[in-house]
Amino acid sequence: MVRRLALAALLLLATAVVAPQIRAHEASLGVLEFREVRPGAFIGRWTMEPAIGASRVDLHVPGHCFLRMPQLICGDKGLVGPITITNLGVNMSAVLLKIIPMTGASRSYTITTASPVVSVLAAGTPTLQSWIELAGTYVNYGIDHILLGADHLLFVLGLIWIVRSGWRLAKTITAFTLGHSISLAAAAFGLIGIPERPLNACIALSIVFVAVEIVKQRRGEVGLTARYPWAVAGAFGLVHGIGFASALAGLGLERRLLPGALLFFNVGVEIGQLAFVLLILALMWAHRRLNAVLPRWGDLLPAYAIGSIAMFWFIGRLVRVLGVT
Amino acid sequence: MRQFASRYESVRSVAVKRLLGRVGFATVVLLAAAQTADAHIVASRLGDFYAGALHPLTDLQDGVLWTALGLLAGSLGATHGRWLVLVLPPGLLLGLSVGLSVGSTWIAPLASAAMMVVLGLLVALGLRINVAALCVIALVLAFMRGVVNAGGAGAATDRVLFGAGLAMCGYAFIALITALTIAFRRLDAQPSGTWRDIAIRACGSWITAIGLIAGGFALAS
Repeated sequence: MVRRLALAALLLLATAVVAPQIRAHEASLGVLEFREVRPGAFIGRWTMEPAIGASRVDLHVPGHCFLRMPQLICGDKGLVGPITITNLGVNMSAVLLKIIPMTGASRSYTITTASPVVSVLAAGTPTLQSWIELAGTYVNYGIDHILLGADHLLFVLGLIWIVRSGWRLAKTITAFTLGHSISLAAAAFGLIGIPERPLNACIALSIVFVAVEIVKQRRGEVGLTARYPWAVAGAFGLVHGIGFASALAGLGLERRLLPGALLFFNVGVEIGQLAFVLLILALMWAHRRLNAVLPRWGDLLPAYAIGSIAMFWFIGRLVRVLGVT
Repeated sequence: MRQFASRYESVRSVAVKRLLGRVGFATVVLLAAAQTADAHIVASRLGDFYAGALHPLTDLQDGVLWTALGLLAGSLGATHGRWLVLVLPPGLLLGLSVGLSVGSTWIAPLASAAMMVVLGLLVALGLRINVAALCVIALVLAFMRGVVNAGGAGAATDRVLFGAGLAMCGYAFIALITALTIAFRRLDAQPSGTWRDIAIRACGSWITAIGLIAGGFALAS
């Protein structure tokens, strides 16, 4: 008992040392807004200035437009065509471009280091080209979100640790996918809405739950997750999906493009999740081949590590919910 | 029984050929559809952890050297190979911290080329070295590559995350290559000296050749 407590304390200490360095969802983002003040003329404004400073952003607008911040003049053709930022990098990984026309809904585009050019679409029926651009943007965004979402990945890792392999794992991951797809769609269409801060605390708590279930399993007890892994994965998938939706909502999507963007974002999330699951399974296989397994005394180490990190996140997020800081 | 075995072998060879054909076709399609690669920029988009994890994968020298080390460890068996999982990541972190403090340019490309030649020869000749020697080689290699990879971290890079990404990449790469080599050799099912051993030794000779070419380039420049 004393050894277990000492182990838990050591892990918590290590987590506390490393944790301030780990930021699960943060990226150096800038938000630029162009508001149409008369036909073809826009006023630009950085609502969130990037770390390198607004004046140092190398922004290129379509050839028929003339830009001298804050003014953007595009004439009769309007703001249609490619917009590029050429100096995206370490200090500025992405810029969200919002275009607010005089009539109709506002539109948002994400310029990232992977796709530094976006084509601004004309109002009206989307063309094939605009669908391709939408797919490119939102699949990438979905992949980014899941790969940067350490909490989602840690939950999936916990599920894999309990279920290990085979059809049960396939069913469990499918249930998680179904769960978060349903709630992502529901939240994106405004059918459900949960404040972000308590939700994030719940997500952290779901990982703590899985860590406790791993400990139970290692002690020979049959926990809820070991018995019905698909049910636990599906239920917590619903919670994680609302978390995905809050990331999508931050982009201020056009209503007409929402179903497409949602689909492509979800595809991106699945691609990232599948890559992570395959990597973990490959590493587990490699460890079995190498006969490199944890000694008996360290059997509970992964569970305590996952649980300690998640508990640290939960306490931090709970503090924010309660408004202590 | 023999008839059944030969029929099984012919069915398997047809299946393998079909699979290779599909892989070849997919490769051609992917290469034809490929656009400009922005490896370093993609890494930075996902933050410093992924920057550290992806940085060595953008460098041919890391790929060749780590593959050579994995082939060597795998050809020596699981009892030798599993030590690299413990040795390589700390070696990379040690090299990275030295590289970040004193700079990364003092490791000449010639040293990496020499390491390729040494590892390639060890694999090609099928020499059996003991665990301690393998760990020393792995530690030296990891230290060298850690120093070189420090060049990928900018002034604003979070060094802890970059280092964690680099160590994680090194761990995953070496574990997978070593395990794949062991699985490919199938020592449990077949005696040594089969075509599988010859194929691994042939890879060693290619790695030696790559090392010689890289060394030639380093001396010429």
